[in-house]
Amino acid sequence: MDAAANFEELTVGIENTQTASTGPAKAKSGRILFDRDSRDTVGEPFVEDARMTCRDVNVYYGDKQAIKDVSLDIGRNEVIAMIGPSGCGKSTFLRCLNRMNDTIDTCRVTGQITLDGIDVYGKDIDVVPLRAQVGMVFQKPNPFPKSIYDNVAYGPRIHGLAQNRAELDDIVETSLRKAGLWEEVKDRMDQPGTGLSGGQQQRLCIARTIAVSPEVILMDEPCSALDPIATAIIEDLIDELKQQYSIAIVTHSMQQASRVSQRTAYFHLGDLIEVGDTAQIFTTPRHQLTQDYITGRFG
Amino acid sequence: MMSPSVIFIAILLLMSAAYYAGRKRALAVAGSRAGLARMHSRPTYYGLLTAMWCGIPALLVFSSWSVFESGIITHLVVAGLPDAIRDLPADRLNLVVNDIRNLVSGNIVSADIDQTMRSAADHYLELQAISHASLAVVILAMTMAAIAILMRIIAPGLRARNQVESIIKWILIACSTIAIFTTIGILLSVLFEAIRFFEKISITEFLFGLKWSPQMAIRADQVGSSGAFGAVPVFAGTLMISAIAMVVAVPVGLLSAIYLSEYADRRFRAVAKPLMEILAGIPTVVYGFFAALTVAPLIRETGIGLGLDVSSESALAAGLVMGIMIIPFVSSLSDDVINAVPQAMRDGAYGLGATKSETVKQVVLPAALPGIVGGVLLAVSRAIGETMIVVMAAGLAANLTANPLKTVTTVTVQIVTLLVGDQEFDSPKTLAAFALGLILFIATLILNVIALHVVRKYREQYE
Ligand SMILES: Nc1ncnc2c1ncn2[C@@H]1O[C@H](COP(=O)(O)OP(=O)(O)OP(=O)(O)O)[C@@H](O)[C@H]1O
Ligand SMILES: [Mg+2]
Repeated sequence: MDAAANFEELTVGIENTQTASTGPAKAKSGRILFDRDSRDTVGEPFVEDARMTCRDVNVYYGDKQAIKDVSLDIGRNEVIAMIGPSGCGKSTFLRCLNRMNDTIDTCRVTGQITLDGIDVYGKDIDVVPLRAQVGMVFQKPNPFPKSIYDNVAYGPRIHGLAQNRAELDDIVETSLRKAGLWEEVKDRMDQPGTGLSGGQQQRLCIARTIAVSPEVILMDEPCSALDPIATAIIEDLIDELKQQYSIAIVTHSMQQASRVSQRTAYFHLGDLIEVGDTAQIFTTPRHQLTQDYITGRFG
Repeated sequence: MMSPSVIFIAILLLMSAAYYAGRKRALAVAGSRAGLARMHSRPTYYGLLTAMWCGIPALLVFSSWSVFESGIITHLVVAGLPDAIRDLPADRLNLVVNDIRNLVSGNIVSADIDQTMRSAADHYLELQAISHASLAVVILAMTMAAIAILMRIIAPGLRARNQVESIIKWILIACSTIAIFTTIGILLSVLFEAIRFFEKISITEFLFGLKWSPQMAIRADQVGSSGAFGAVPVFAGTLMISAIAMVVAVPVGLLSAIYLSEYADRRFRAVAKPLMEILAGIPTVVYGFFAALTVAPLIRETGIGLGLDVSSESALAAGLVMGIMIIPFVSSLSDDVINAVPQAMRDGAYGLGATKSETVKQVVLPAALPGIVGGVLLAVSRAIGETMIVVMAAGLAANLTANPLKTVTTVTVQIVTLLVGDQEFDSPKTLAAFALGLILFIATLILNVIALHVVRKYREQYE
C-alpha cells in the first residue's frame, strides 16, 4: 500500500517536473509566493451558489488534530479536486461531508458543514437520508460479500428506488455501464463481488454508489487501481455526472485533477493551503508549498 | 547413588556444557573476524548443534530406560524366586510381586515378611542399583562421544544452521504426533471395548432398540433381569436437551454478541465482556445444582399452576440451564467473527445510507454467518458432551418421550451411571458405556469437523 503510494508520488513528481518545465519561468519571474510557513488558506475557498459549505472545520482523532480550521465550498455542478501528500487529511475531510466519521469512536468534528443550507451536523439531522444524498466511493474497494448484482442493487433496495424487478435490473445495468464494468460482468452477475479483481472491485463500488443517484458524490482516489482505459471511462462518467451533481474527488494524479476538475484544493498536514481554479493552481500556484508539491519538490 | 533424577539433571548440565564447547570450538576454528564470515553458520548454531547431538540421544535412552527398567528387573527377580512361589497362579504371583515392590519402597506390606521376600527385595534393590549405574555410564559415554565427534567435525563447511533448523522441525513434528496418537489411542481403546459389546448385543438392537434398561444378572442364577440395550431413548434424550439448550443459547448469545460488537459503547463493552466470560468459567456442577434446586422446582410449580404434569426432574430444567451455560460460548465466538468483518464493509453500507440495523442484518451478519454457524456447531458438541447438569437436573430414567416436562436421560449420564460403582469390566452393562462413548465421540467429531470446515471457509473470504 505504502510502496504503491510512494511510487505514485514518485511518478507524479516526474510528470510534473515535465509539465512544470513549461511554466517555471513565471514562477521565477517575481510572482509573489506565500512563504512555506504560512498556513492561511490562499485563494478563494468560497463560491456563489454553493452546494455544500464548510466553515472552520476541525477534525480530531483522539488528541491528534487531522484537519485544522478548513473552510471550503463545493459548488453546484462542479468537480473539486483535493490533492496533497499522503496523510494530509484528504480522506478525513471527505468523510466529514457525509458524516462517515461518526463511525469512528475517537473521531470528533467541530465547525459547520451545510448541505443546501442545512447544517449536516445539526441535532435533528438523520444521517441515513444524508448519506443517500451525499454518496461516497471509498479509497479501498469494499464490495459486500454478496453477488455482483446484489452489490449494486443494495442501495436502490434499501431506499426503495425500484418498484419492481425490471426497474431494479435496469438501475443495476445502467450503473454498471456508467462505471465501465458491464461488459466484463454481465455474464456473471450472480458471482460474489469479492471475487473480482482490485480494479473491477473499484468500479463495482463506483457503480454501487451511483446506483442510488446521490446529489453530491465524494470519491476517494476512485482510479487508484485502474488502467488508463478504465480511468478514462470513470473520468467521462465524472464529466457526465457533473451536469447534474457536485463531485469532490481525491486524487494523487495531477493530470487527473487537471482533466476532470474545475477547482482544486491543496491540503498539507491538515491545513487547506490553497484553493483556486484548477488551471491557475497547476500553472501559477501562489503558495510555496503548493508549488513544491506540484513540481515534485515536496518532502 | 545415581538416582534417575540426578542423571536427568546431569544430562541437562552436559547439554549446556556442550553448547559452550561447540560455540567455543566454532570460534576457535574461525580464528578471526574474517574467518567467522567464512563459517557457514554463526557460532551459536554450532553450539546448539553440539548440545542437541549431546542431549537428544541421551534423553531418548534415558526415557526408554526408565520405561523398561522396572519390568525387566521384576522379571529377573521373579526368575530368582524359589520354584514354590514361581508356580503360583498368575494373580497370586502378582500379589507377591506387589509385596516385593512395596517392601522395596518401604511401604507396609500385606503379608508377613518372611526370609524369601526379604532376600527378593534385596535382590531387587541390588539390580536397581546396577541398572542406574549402568545407565549413568551409558549416558556419560554417549554424551562424551557426541561432544568429541562434534569437536572434530566442526569446520567452516558444516551446515550447522540448517541441521539445527531441521532438528527443531522434527522435534515439533514429534510433539504434534503425540497429540494425534493420543487421540487415535483413545479412539481405538473405546472402539475395541465397543466391539466387545457388539459381540454380546447386536448393533442393530443397540442403534434401533426402543428400550434401555442396562441391568444384567450379576450371578448366572439371578432371575428377571436380562437387560435391554436399545439406545434410542438415550439418544433422544440427548437430542432433546441439546435442542432446548440451543434454543436458549443461540438467540441470546448471538443477539448479545451483536449488541456488544455493534451497538455498545467501549466502556460498556469493557465491563460486559469479562462478565460474560465469568459466566463461562462457573463450574458445571454449580450450574447443576442451580438447575436441580432452583430451576427445576420453579418449572414444576409453574407447570402445576398451569395444570400440567411436571416431573420434579425434567428435560426442560436441564436444557434451560445448559443453554445459559452455553450463552457465553456462543456469544464470544460470534463476537469474534463479527469483529472480524472488516470495518470497510460496514462503511460501504453506511455510505449508501443504510441504517445500523440494516447494515447489521444485511451486510455484517451475512458476512459473519459461516463463522457464526461454526461457533454454533461447536456449541452443540459442547451441549452433547455436557454431563453434570443433566445428571443433577434431568434424572436417570430412560424415557422415550417428546415431552420436555418429563424425566429423560442422555448418553453422557448413562455412561456415568454405568461405570460408577463396583463393576465387572466385561459385562455388557459396562461395555455398553464404551459403545455409547463411541457414538458420542463420532457425533462430536463429525460436528467439529463440519464446524472447523465452515470456519476455515469463512476465513478465506477476507484473505
Ligand atoms: N481512524 C483513524 N484514527 C486515528 N487517526 C487517523 C484515522 N484515520 C486517519 N488518521 C490520521 O489522520 C491523518 C489524515 O489521514 P487521512 O486518511 O485523511 O489522510 P489522506 O490525506 O487521505 O492520505 P492518503 O493520501 O494516504 O489517503 C493521518 O495522520 C492519519 O494517521
Ligand atoms: Mg486517503
